[in-house]
Amino acid sequence: MPEITYRQAIHDAMVEEMRRDGRVFLIGEDIGTYGGAFGVSAGMLEEFGPGRIVETPISEEAIIGAAAGAAMVGMRPIAEMMFMDFILLTMEPLVNQAAKARYMFGGKATVPMVVRMPGGSGTGAAAQHSQSLETILMHIPGIKVVAPSTSYDAKGLLISSIRDLNPICFVEHKLLYKSKGEVPEEEYAIPLGVADVKREGRDLTLVASGIMVHKSLDAAQIVAEEDGISVEVVDPRTLRPLDVDTIAKSVKKTGRLLVVHEAVKTAGWAGEVMASVSETPSWDYLDAPMRRLTGKDVPIPYNRHLEAAAVPQVDDIVREVRAIVNTQY
Amino acid sequence: MPTPFIMPKMDMDQESVIINEWLKQEGDSVEKGEPVIVIETDKITSEVEAPASGTLARILYANNEEAPVTQVVAYILEEGETEADLPEAPGESEPKAGTAVKQDVSDEPAEKPRKSATPIAVRMAKAENIDLDKVPAQGDRITKDDVEAYLASVDRVEPRVQVPATPAARRLASEEGVSLGEVTGSGPRGRVQADDVRATAARVAAPQPVPQPKLSAGQTLPLSSIRKRIADRMTASYQSTPHIYLTVEVDMLEAEESRKRMNQLAGEPSISITAYLVRLVAWALKRHPLLNATLEDDQIKLWEEVNIGIATALDEGLIVPVVHHADQLSAVEINLRMRELAQKARAGTLAREEIQGGTFTISNLGMYGVDSFTAIINPPQSAILAVGTVRRKPVVVDAEDTVMVRPMMMLTLGADHRVVDGAVAASFLADMVKAIETPELLLI
Amino acid sequence: MSNNHLMEFDNEKTTDVLEKSKQLGLLEKDLVEMYRTMISIRLFEEMADKLYALGKVHGTMHLSAGQEGVAVGTGKVMGAEDYLLNHHRGHGHFIASGADIKKMMAEFLGKETGYCKGRGGSMHIADVEANNLGANGIVGGGIQLAAGVGLAIKMMGEERVVLVIFGDGAANQGILYESFNMAAIWDLPVVYLCENNQYGMSADVTRVSSKVPFKERATAHGIPGYYIDGNDVLAVYETMANAVEHARSRKGPVFVEAQTYRYFGHSKSDRNLYRTRDEIEEWKHRDPIERFQKLLVDANIITEEDIEKIYQEMSQLIDEAVEFAENSPEPDVSEVTEWVYA
Repeated sequence: MPEITYRQAIHDAMVEEMRRDGRVFLIGEDIGTYGGAFGVSAGMLEEFGPGRIVETPISEEAIIGAAAGAAMVGMRPIAEMMFMDFILLTMEPLVNQAAKARYMFGGKATVPMVVRMPGGSGTGAAAQHSQSLETILMHIPGIKVVAPSTSYDAKGLLISSIRDLNPICFVEHKLLYKSKGEVPEEEYAIPLGVADVKREGRDLTLVASGIMVHKSLDAAQIVAEEDGISVEVVDPRTLRPLDVDTIAKSVKKTGRLLVVHEAVKTAGWAGEVMASVSETPSWDYLDAPMRRLTGKDVPIPYNRHLEAAAVPQVDDIVREVRAIVNTQY
Repeated sequence: MPTPFIMPKMDMDQESVIINEWLKQEGDSVEKGEPVIVIETDKITSEVEAPASGTLARILYANNEEAPVTQVVAYILEEGETEADLPEAPGESEPKAGTAVKQDVSDEPAEKPRKSATPIAVRMAKAENIDLDKVPAQGDRITKDDVEAYLASVDRVEPRVQVPATPAARRLASEEGVSLGEVTGSGPRGRVQADDVRATAARVAAPQPVPQPKLSAGQTLPLSSIRKRIADRMTASYQSTPHIYLTVEVDMLEAEESRKRMNQLAGEPSISITAYLVRLVAWALKRHPLLNATLEDDQIKLWEEVNIGIATALDEGLIVPVVHHADQLSAVEINLRMRELAQKARAGTLAREEIQGGTFTISNLGMYGVDSFTAIINPPQSAILAVGTVRRKPVVVDAEDTVMVRPMMMLTLGADHRVVDGAVAASFLADMVKAIETPELLLI
Repeated sequence: MSNNHLMEFDNEKTTDVLEKSKQLGLLEKDLVEMYRTMISIRLFEEMADKLYALGKVHGTMHLSAGQEGVAVGTGKVMGAEDYLLNHHRGHGHFIASGADIKKMMAEFLGKETGYCKGRGGSMHIADVEANNLGANGIVGGGIQLAAGVGLAIKMMGEERVVLVIFGDGAANQGILYESFNMAAIWDLPVVYLCENNQYGMSADVTRVSSKVPFKERATAHGIPGYYIDGNDVLAVYETMANAVEHARSRKGPVFVEAQTYRYFGHSKSDRNLYRTRDEIEEWKHRDPIERFQKLLVDANIITEEDIEKIYQEMSQLIDEAVEFAENSPEPDVSEVTEWVYA
């Protein structure tokens, strides 16, 4: 299988779906000639023209409102938010309109739209361009939240998201755009709501998404080599709906759970994972307190060292895994 | 027909209003839309307008009285109508609009207590299954405090045992019939971990017939907790695991010769038959991984490690210390390790990890002169080897029917039929026979 | 007194209904039908108020009595294929766009037979299949969607238009200007109708708006704007017909502000502290129904007898709707989690 970047995978998913379905279009800021702030839509204007690569004014609320309106009457918009942080400007059309129309109207409306948004820290973009706001979105019934960690997942999940009939928040991580992974040349789709076990293990279940999957896999390798600790890394891939079954099954096997995310701790989704597990029979198999390792409760700072200290790094994960497995909590 | 003057509902959560003042009195004429009542709610003072034109009649709520919303508070007579045209039972025969569609959301039980009680008190009483009539009230109504005081005054079920333990430890303790109070916790602040429970459970369980009883005949003793656990464990294993048994007889001549030579080379202490067999069993298990396995959740787990438990009889019960990594040890090392474990077992100083992790068990009753026997599998393992005594007897040793006296021994393999089929078990035993009769096999 | 800010309307006052209707291509039966619809809206709203007072309504509601001129003048213009994005005071517009009063009443009472199976209530009545994209509980909520609907129409090359109706309160939401801008730069077929009833809840529009009429804000975006008398149903019809024609012929968005007045409070908790009884009475002298009725009677199109008969018929229609709604089943609570996701 050829290796392509995460950026290319997302690009390819959009291009293939736009070729397949004339209702699909891309709307957002600087997505045409510029190719999008992170270059994801580079070249798409040439293929699809300004009729389907709809460049907008800097009006985030109107972009999402327009996507929702178009979706309600039969189009399949993909809206690009330049940064995930800007989604906060769009809570009204996203949460009060797109997420609720179907329910509020007794099941008679559908709002098939995807909002793509790069999130996460690590680029020195500081507090207003580095947030991980997944939890805010996960809290809304009617919205699905997808967060791929690999090129393969990114393409397969984006294709499913575009074909889905609901408003989807598709969270991309800026630092992953350059990462490479194998992606088959033939068409494929990954169903939403299905977790992926990225590494099998028997001593501890580590749930992580996005870039934290990679950091967790690195940490798992280290503890395997240095401590003989066998970590199972589970990537939910879709945060809502959350695949609790797969996580709970893993916890039943390992008896220990660590959730790692970049988003801040308070009311972060790690709490949701832990609460969900405790509601399953797997609770009876827990042999250690469930733990979470998350971003600190701070805005993302600018300075390189401060920025790194604000979110979990590989060493932090290694330390946490050892502490749990060695019964220090 | 007289028009009922209904107190309008103005807020979503409103149930009543206070009538501040009737601007018109009974007998006064009113115009539709004219303010008639000044009312007060918890939010504001407001005016209520006449719903129709006519003569105001039968005011049901006086000034400063509380009136329910959506209910009739007076009537307006049309021209020519009199009091006689009003409904007979004021208020009661009136439309139940509002109440009819209002859902009953209270949790009150169908039978109300004779004394009045606050909704919280009613809910608590229901949850605690107590009779509210028995609860003494401090004030006019039974309150939450009254219910709590009552609860504190009566004997309740004994409080939950407060042993810190992980959920897994609690589950295991319950499954193994171990009382958490008897387990020493190795976790932080003395918390009992799953392994602690396993250790306690394993200390008392072994898949063995009981050694010679010391008790005099006829004497009856209640089952000790250790015996109780052995009983539960063996019963569970025997009932849940379909056992198959295969027996072979093996010529021990070569093995005895081989053991003697080893002892000459290695010196004291001499290698026991059991230690010698452990070495061979470890070799055979590597060739037959299904016998070194665990069935769990519809999955057969093949263990990489070969950890052989040795059933050991003690006065107070049985214990199964484990020789870990037996496949990586020499017969001499196994022998030394077994002696060490046996001493510790007698002294009661076995560490937790020394009785854990067994993947296969050997039970040798040869020293009691038993020729052969069947043993019950030690869960979660999938097989157990029962070793009989070495007895010299005449056997045919070659194709010419030559009869010679040879040291013969019976081996009986008990296996979990869910994991192991007869052929697999037989093949394991065949390898054991070959290895015992041709020890060089291990060197090939 | 709030109406001191009434400025000169862009429309010509309707004085001769015969001449006007001829000019607009409306037949006598059209005029009578419009009158009947206005009556049905008024009676629907009065019944809604009554049902609320009787405690039969679970939530709140926003009544449009007094605003029938805007509703009917607009509804008569719109085609069945056109999209409607409505505001929270939307009963009148739905009735004027041909909604089934029974289903509306059932939704109002939260019944399974309602337009939204009792999930939406008064504030969210929608009929997506009939291109009615719903009333909106968020002030300016429909504005957010309008440019997108317009964009979809344009992309699909259709001849529809989208009508988005909002109040004077929503005119001060920032999204209106993002939406104006988008619709203008892309020439989207969006008809913005600002139904100015002078109060955003209790806020007098002149007190909270830098400049009125709002049409100047539209023209500042290069969008044609009109300020008209919303209580003159034929003037509304005329202006809206021109506006819709403008949008339908791909000339881009258009803005109409119709001045009107609501008689009931903002919602049921409103005590009318911000306006006087006199003011309400004065506006009742400009009542859209009575004005239209007088024109029709003067022109001998209807008689006093006809009027009585129409009131009776419409009352009966409303009563039947109430009966239908009251006899309809409640939604099944076991289905409370249905329809969150498609």
